[in-house]
Amino acid sequence: MEVRLEGITKNFGSVQILKEVNLVFPSRKFVTLLGPSGCGKTTLLRMIAGLEEITAGQIVFGDRVVNRLAPKDRNIAMVFQSYALYPQMSVRKNLGYGLRVRGTVSADVDAAVERVAKILEIDHLLDRKPGQLSGGQRQRVALGRAMVRKPDIFLMDEPLSNLDAKLRVTMRSELRRFHLDLNATTVYVTHDQLEAMTMSDLVAVMHQGVVQQFGTPAEVYSRPANRFVAGFIGSPPMNFLTAARRGNEAEAGGGVLSLPPLSDDATKAETVVIGVRPQDLEIVPVSGNDRLKGKVSLIELLGSEKLVEVDFVGVRVLVQVRADFPVKEQSEVFVHFNPDRLHVFEAESGQSIVKRATL
Amino acid sequence: MHILRHLQSDRAVGLLFIAPFVITALFFMVYPIAEAIRMAFYSYNPLRPDLTAFVGLANFEYIFEDPLFWASFWQATVWTLLSILFQTVFGVGLALLLHRALFGMAFFRGLLLFPYIVPTVVIALIWRWIFNPEIGVVNYSLIASGIIKEPIYWLSTPAMAMASTIMLNVWKYTPFVVICVLARLQSVPLELYDAAKVDGAGTMRRFFDVTLPQLKEVLIVVIVFRTIWTFNKFEEIYLLTKGGPGTSTFNLAVYSFEQSMASLRLGVGAATGVVMMIILLIGSIVYLRVAGFGENEK
Amino acid sequence: MNSASTLWKTVKNAMLYLILCVVTFLICFPLIWALSTSLKPKSEIFATPPTLIPHNLTLENYEALLTGRQQYYQAQGAPQNTGTTPAQFFTRWFINSVIVTLGSTLISIAVSTLAAYSLTRFRYWGRSAVPYFSLLGYMVPSIIFVFPLFLMMVRLDLTDSLWSLILGYVCITLPFCMWLMWAFMRSIPIEIEEAALIDGASRYQVFRQIVLPSALPGIIAASIFAMIVSWNDYLFGRVFINSIDNLTLTVGVMLFFEGTHVDWGLLMAASVLMTVPMAILFMALQRHLVAGFGAGAVKG
Repeated sequence: MEVRLEGITKNFGSVQILKEVNLVFPSRKFVTLLGPSGCGKTTLLRMIAGLEEITAGQIVFGDRVVNRLAPKDRNIAMVFQSYALYPQMSVRKNLGYGLRVRGTVSADVDAAVERVAKILEIDHLLDRKPGQLSGGQRQRVALGRAMVRKPDIFLMDEPLSNLDAKLRVTMRSELRRFHLDLNATTVYVTHDQLEAMTMSDLVAVMHQGVVQQFGTPAEVYSRPANRFVAGFIGSPPMNFLTAARRGNEAEAGGGVLSLPPLSDDATKAETVVIGVRPQDLEIVPVSGNDRLKGKVSLIELLGSEKLVEVDFVGVRVLVQVRADFPVKEQSEVFVHFNPDRLHVFEAESGQSIVKRATL
Repeated sequence: MHILRHLQSDRAVGLLFIAPFVITALFFMVYPIAEAIRMAFYSYNPLRPDLTAFVGLANFEYIFEDPLFWASFWQATVWTLLSILFQTVFGVGLALLLHRALFGMAFFRGLLLFPYIVPTVVIALIWRWIFNPEIGVVNYSLIASGIIKEPIYWLSTPAMAMASTIMLNVWKYTPFVVICVLARLQSVPLELYDAAKVDGAGTMRRFFDVTLPQLKEVLIVVIVFRTIWTFNKFEEIYLLTKGGPGTSTFNLAVYSFEQSMASLRLGVGAATGVVMMIILLIGSIVYLRVAGFGENEK
Repeated sequence: MNSASTLWKTVKNAMLYLILCVVTFLICFPLIWALSTSLKPKSEIFATPPTLIPHNLTLENYEALLTGRQQYYQAQGAPQNTGTTPAQFFTRWFINSVIVTLGSTLISIAVSTLAAYSLTRFRYWGRSAVPYFSLLGYMVPSIIFVFPLFLMMVRLDLTDSLWSLILGYVCITLPFCMWLMWAFMRSIPIEIEEAALIDGASRYQVFRQIVLPSALPGIIAASIFAMIVSWNDYLFGRVFINSIDNLTLTVGVMLFFEGTHVDWGLLMAASVLMTVPMAILFMALQRHLVAGFGAGAVKG
C-alpha cells in the first residue's frame, strides 16, 4: 500500500519537531528514515502508526486519509526498539495476541502462529516467556508478532540496535528477505547508515525535523543534496575543504583544484565547500594538475585498507588506500583530487551546486 | 470501518480514569484539611452546634497561653530527638552488620521488617505487660540478675514513662532505618572500596571516607522524614501512657486529641493541628532543600 | 592465607552471629513473651520465676476469645453473670476489622491504579502535580483530619457504621497508594501498550490485558501497605464508632483494660490473634514488600 505524507508538521509545545514533511512511499518498497537522534524520524514513524497526534498535514494510506484512525484500524504492524513483548504472556500468546484481540477463531490463530514461528525458526520457543529468551530470540518474536497479521504496512523502529554487531549483520539480510516475502510497504527507522544503505529501496535522510534528501541509497551516496547528507552518509566520513572559487577552479589547501561543472545559478557563490570521500582520493608520487602537496601525519590500518591522514596548508584530509600501498608517516606526498569525484556546496546554505545531468 | 476521533476519545479515557481519584481526594483529603484549618478559627462544641461562632485567633491565643501546650511541645521535642538519635545509631550499626554475604543474612533481614507490621495497639499491650512493675518480666529479670533492687515503675513515673515510649518507638522504627541504609549500602560501588584499599586506607578510614559520605544523603532524608512523623505521632504515646502519668508524656497530637475528645473544644484541637501542620511544612521545606541540595551536588 | 588470619576470621564471624542473635532476641522477645503468656493457664502467668516455655500448655485463652465464653469468672467455680465482657465481642470485632481493611484497601487500590495509569499515559493539565500533592497529603498526620472527617460522617449520617471507617481509611491510605502506583506505573514501558494498540486492542483491553498484569507487583505492594495501615489503626476506630458491636479489633481490645481486673492471658492471646493475619500476609508477600520499601512507601 502506498503511504503519502503531506505537509506533516509536529509541535511539542513550542518546539517544532517536524517541519512540513512531504514524502511518498511507493507500495511494497522498503523505505528507511535515516538521521541522527533527535531528527524526528521516530516521531514521524509513530505518527504513521497513529501513536502520536498530527499537528498539521495529512497521512494517506492508498487513497484513505488515516489522520483520525486509531492504530488498530490502520492494519499496520510495528516492531519496537525494545521489542515490547508482553512479559506475562508466553511466546505463543505474544504472537497470537493481535489475532485473538481481533476475534480470530483460535484454530486459525494457532495455525498462523505455527506458520510464522516456523519461518522465523522460533517454533521450539513457543511456550517460553520473553524473560527466558536471548536478545536475538526476542527480536524474532517481535518480528513474528508483526508478521502474523499480514499487515499492509510494516513499521520498524531501530529493531536491530539492541543486538550485538555480528547478529545485526545476519538480521539485516533476513529483514530484507522478510520484506520481500511479506509484500507490504516497510518503513524502517534507523540512525545507522549501513543498515539504511544495505536494506532499503529508498532512503529519506532527515535532520532537525526536515527531510534533507529522499532517494535510492545509490543516489544519496553519490549525489548528496547538501553538506549534511554528504557528511552523514559514508564511512569514513567525507572530507570537507573550504575553498575560494574562481570560475571552475578553487583555491584550497595551498593549491588549485578543478571543479566539476556547476549549476547555472551557482555563479554567485564565491566561497564554497569541497567535499570528497576518502575512497575517491589517490596518493601519487609526483606533482601535477589537481594535485596538492602534503605531509602524512598518521596511518591507521583497517585490515584490507588503511587510512592515511595527510596535512595540507590549513587543512587535513583522510585518504583511503589499499593496505599494501607503500606510504610512510612523516613523508611528503601528492594527493590527486579527481574533479569528477568532487562534491561542491555553497558555503552558506550547504546546498550542492554541482550540475547534474539526468539520473 | 468506522472512523473515530480516537485521540480525542482516548483523552476522555484518561480523564475518566483520573476522575475517581480527583473526587475522592477532594472529599477526603482536601476538604478535611481545609475544614481543619477553618475550625481553628471557630469555637466549636459538637454537643452544642448552635453555639458555633467565629472567634478569630482566640483558639491560638488560648493554646499559646496554656502551659500544657508548651509542656507538650517540649516533651514532644525531647521524645522526638531521643527517638531519632537511637533509631539512627542503632539503624546504621545494624545495617553495617547486616551488609555482608554471610549464611542466614536473608533470614535476619526479613525478620527486621517484622516490628513494622505489628499493630501499635499490640506493641502497647505487650509493653504494658512486660514492663508491668510487679509482675512484668523485665523487672523480674533485672532484679533476679541483681542490676536493680527495687522494681522500676516504668509507666507510672514521668521519666520512666518517657523512656518506655521512646523504647517502643525505637523498637518499632529502627528496622525502617536499617532497610533504607541497607538499600543504599548495596548500591555503593565496590570499586570504591577497592580503590580505597589500594590507596592504603584501613577499615576505619574506609568507613569514614567511603561509607559515611555515601550514606549522608539517605541519612538526611531518613532523619528528616522520621523527625516529622515522630513529632506528630499519636498512637505510640496515647496507647501506652495516655499521655501520663499526669501529663508528663503529652505531645501535641495527644494534646490536640484531648482538647477535642475530652474537653470537646474542637476549635482548640484544630488550632493545635494547624500549629502541627506549620511545623510539618517547615520540616518539608527543610527536606526539599536538602533533597535539592543533593541534586546540585551530583 | 595463613592460619592466624583464618582464625581471626572465624572469631570475627562468630562474634557477628552473636551480635545478630542478641539483636534478633531483642526484636523477637516481646512477641515471643506475648505468645508464651497467651498459652499459659491463669496460675502460671503470675508464677515466679516466670517461665518462657509454659509448663502447662493451654489454649483456653484462645478458646475464650473465639467462642466468646466468659472464661475467667467461670473458672472460679460457680458460673456467675458478670455482665458483658470484651471477650464476647472478639470474633465480631475481628470480622469488622477484616471488612473495613479489605473494603478500604479495595477502594484505595482501584482508585489509585486507575489514576496512576491516567497520570502516566495521558497528557493534561496538572498531571505532574498530582503525585506530589499526594505525597504532601501522605505526610499530614491523621490526628489533623480525624475530627473534620468525623463531622462529615455525622452530616452523612454514617457515624457508628463500618462505612465511616472504610472511607476514613481510604483517606489515610489513598495518598501513598497513589504515590506508589504512580512510581510503579512510570516504570512500565509504554511501548508494550503501544504494541497492543497496534495489535488491535482497545484502551480498555490494553488496561485489562497488558497493564494490570504488569502492574501486579506494585498493586500487591500497595495493598499490603494499605492493609497494614487500616488493620493497625486505632484513632479513627476510636473517634468514629460508638457501639460496642461495630468496634474494630484495635479499639475493642483496649476495652479489656476497663474493669477491675486485667486478664493478661486473654489480652496476649488477643494480641497474637491480631498480629497473625498481618504476619501471614507479610511472610507470603515479603519480596513485594521490600520492593514497596524501595518505592518509598513507608509511613511510620
